[in-house]
Amino acid sequence: MDRSREIFVCLLSAMALLVFSVVFLLAEDETVIGSYMVGGAVLLWIMVRMGVYEKVITAVSHHERLWASLVFIAALILLFFFRDNHYCLFLVGTIFCYTIAVLGLNVQLGYTGVINFSAASFFGVGGYTAGMLLNQGLVPPFAAFILGGVMAGLVGCVLLLPVLRTSGHYSALVTMAFALLFNVFLEVNESFGGPQGIAVPSFSLFGVDFGSDVEWGSITGSFYLRYDLFILVFLAIVFIMVRRVERSWMGLAMDAVRLDETASACFGINIVRWKVTAFTMGNVLMGMAGALYAMMLAYISPANFTFSDSLLFLSILLLGGMGNCWGVLLATSIMVVLPEKLQFIQEYRYLLYSLLVLLMIVYRPMGLLPRRTRVVTSEDVA
Amino acid sequence: MSLLSCTGLTMRFGGLAALNKLDVHVEEGDVIGLVGPNGSGKTTFFNVLTGIYTPSEGRIVFDGQDITAKTPQEICRAGIARTFQRSRLCLELTVFDNVMMGNSKNLNLGFWHNVIRRKAFFQECRDDEARIRLMLKALNPTLADKIRKPVGELSMIDRRRVEICRALTGRPRLLLLDEPSAGMTQDETRQLMDELVAMEFEGNRPSIILIEHEMSVIKRISTRCIVLNFGRKLCEGSYDEVTSNPVVQQAYLGTEVV
Ligand SMILES: Nc1ncnc2c1ncn2[C@@H]1O[C@H](COP(=O)(O)OP(=O)(O)OP(=O)(O)O)[C@@H](O)[C@H]1O
Ligand SMILES: [Mg+2]
Repeated sequence: MDRSREIFVCLLSAMALLVFSVVFLLAEDETVIGSYMVGGAVLLWIMVRMGVYEKVITAVSHHERLWASLVFIAALILLFFFRDNHYCLFLVGTIFCYTIAVLGLNVQLGYTGVINFSAASFFGVGGYTAGMLLNQGLVPPFAAFILGGVMAGLVGCVLLLPVLRTSGHYSALVTMAFALLFNVFLEVNESFGGPQGIAVPSFSLFGVDFGSDVEWGSITGSFYLRYDLFILVFLAIVFIMVRRVERSWMGLAMDAVRLDETASACFGINIVRWKVTAFTMGNVLMGMAGALYAMMLAYISPANFTFSDSLLFLSILLLGGMGNCWGVLLATSIMVVLPEKLQFIQEYRYLLYSLLVLLMIVYRPMGLLPRRTRVVTSEDVA
Repeated sequence: MSLLSCTGLTMRFGGLAALNKLDVHVEEGDVIGLVGPNGSGKTTFFNVLTGIYTPSEGRIVFDGQDITAKTPQEICRAGIARTFQRSRLCLELTVFDNVMMGNSKNLNLGFWHNVIRRKAFFQECRDDEARIRLMLKALNPTLADKIRKPVGELSMIDRRRVEICRALTGRPRLLLLDEPSAGMTQDETRQLMDELVAMEFEGNRPSIILIEHEMSVIKRISTRCIVLNFGRKLCEGSYDEVTSNPVVQQAYLGTEVV
């Protein structure tokens, strides 16, 4: 395909995605939602079958910078469209927060191969840190947001020793144990609010309180609008950073560690350094995302950060395609919105997740958007 | 002073002595052919040299520095690079990435350089790509065009070439080649060795220890041969001396040597 056609394809797909998201988020009747889902799945299947899907992805990957800007603009349009819809804005905010957290998991598992079954716990560490600090009135909200990430990174250091053990199963078990422990710890600890959880004061930036509804001239909207805009900007920064890490010598070292530790060591790559870097970087991202999520939610409890949520984060990564940041964004949107839209499925959501993951493993083992071969030398994309 | 001197090197796995009081000395510019029957300890010798195993006894001095109990990473930095008997390339990474992996010790891995200010990084990238292209071209002209292909798509002989390039990018002083011809036909082996001999190494040719079953290859490129059997050095000398040695012939025919 020539350049202009590829650009056209990018524009068209961005618009199609935007329209589909808006229509899907607006739909309330369950049969309508069901038919959208089936329709979307069939369309996708036909596109894959005819090879169109692959072509679209190739076109997009050739113009990633353009694509990223288009997606950013589409997100802004989406937010503007839903400006006074609390519910949809909250959903979108959740997607953004989860995406940041799973991008962190992507650095750990997707790039470096460090398994982490306690992603939701680090998300929770960030949330509780922000909540506790703000409740005590110790720091301004922006500092609480940063410190949420710092705290998650520090707590992660406790797990470093077992995680550094090369045998994969061992570190998997340790992180699982940590996820369960973290939950119990929160539930029995009255100073952290016990099972009821704690209220979290709202975020504020430059004296603007994010807890009150938006009134910008003639535009009025939900207070979630500010959160969503702020989180979107943060997400964009994180996305660019994580994508750049991938396409750098750091990403090369991380890939080498994941693919062959012995060979890496023989070529002077410091395995411990890269595992520690990836693990900490991921945890900090999860913590910061968790802090924002807690402030947006205004109320958090241990039930927000269970082991099942950690599994949800992992299945998002699997569904999206291990190592692919765009896949993370896509899969998070699907995994957050589907159970919300299919209320009757709420109780079976983990069944749905496991089914999705199983189907993935059988039919698209590399995920919806398999990671593309990295070409470090080509120009910057994001 | 020798570039590498191993004295009394012993490596025991339980009751089995895979290396038994081995003395090996390598001088600057040597190309040593290391031969011996299957299971005689050749690969184990490389693994001990590169720090994958710590020897049970003995001492390794490389370039005046004791590297006996050092980690693989430190040994790599000291200037030893290797290839593996069973190819250990990262199949999903490109040729460029795989070769650059061998240059990791010289790369700037800082966050600022890699993620924030990318200008210098891209310049470095382009320079490295040009350099690696030349290197691949020196081995085989067609390989240079495959530099952005994943290694998994390459043929066996090309993978071997990439492995050799990966070992060479870090400009090692000692190069360890573990059966570079494994899995290739005789013609391909001959071709690969011709390429290796013809390579110019940018003016600093490393000393080489080559493990090889194909004796014609040893004959072609080695300056000295060492024969191992049951972890011991059976004999050492020029190719002709070694091959005419009755003890060696016996070992290769499988008779017990006392
Ligand atoms: N990690 C290990 N644990 C136990 N025994 C080992 C280990 N590595 C090697 N050995 C044993 O050491 C002996 C020497 O093995 P090595 O791989 O060094 O032989 P080799 O000369 O490279 O043989 P080949 O020509 O087949 O490659 C063999 O008997 C092998 O079984
Ligand atoms: Mg061997």
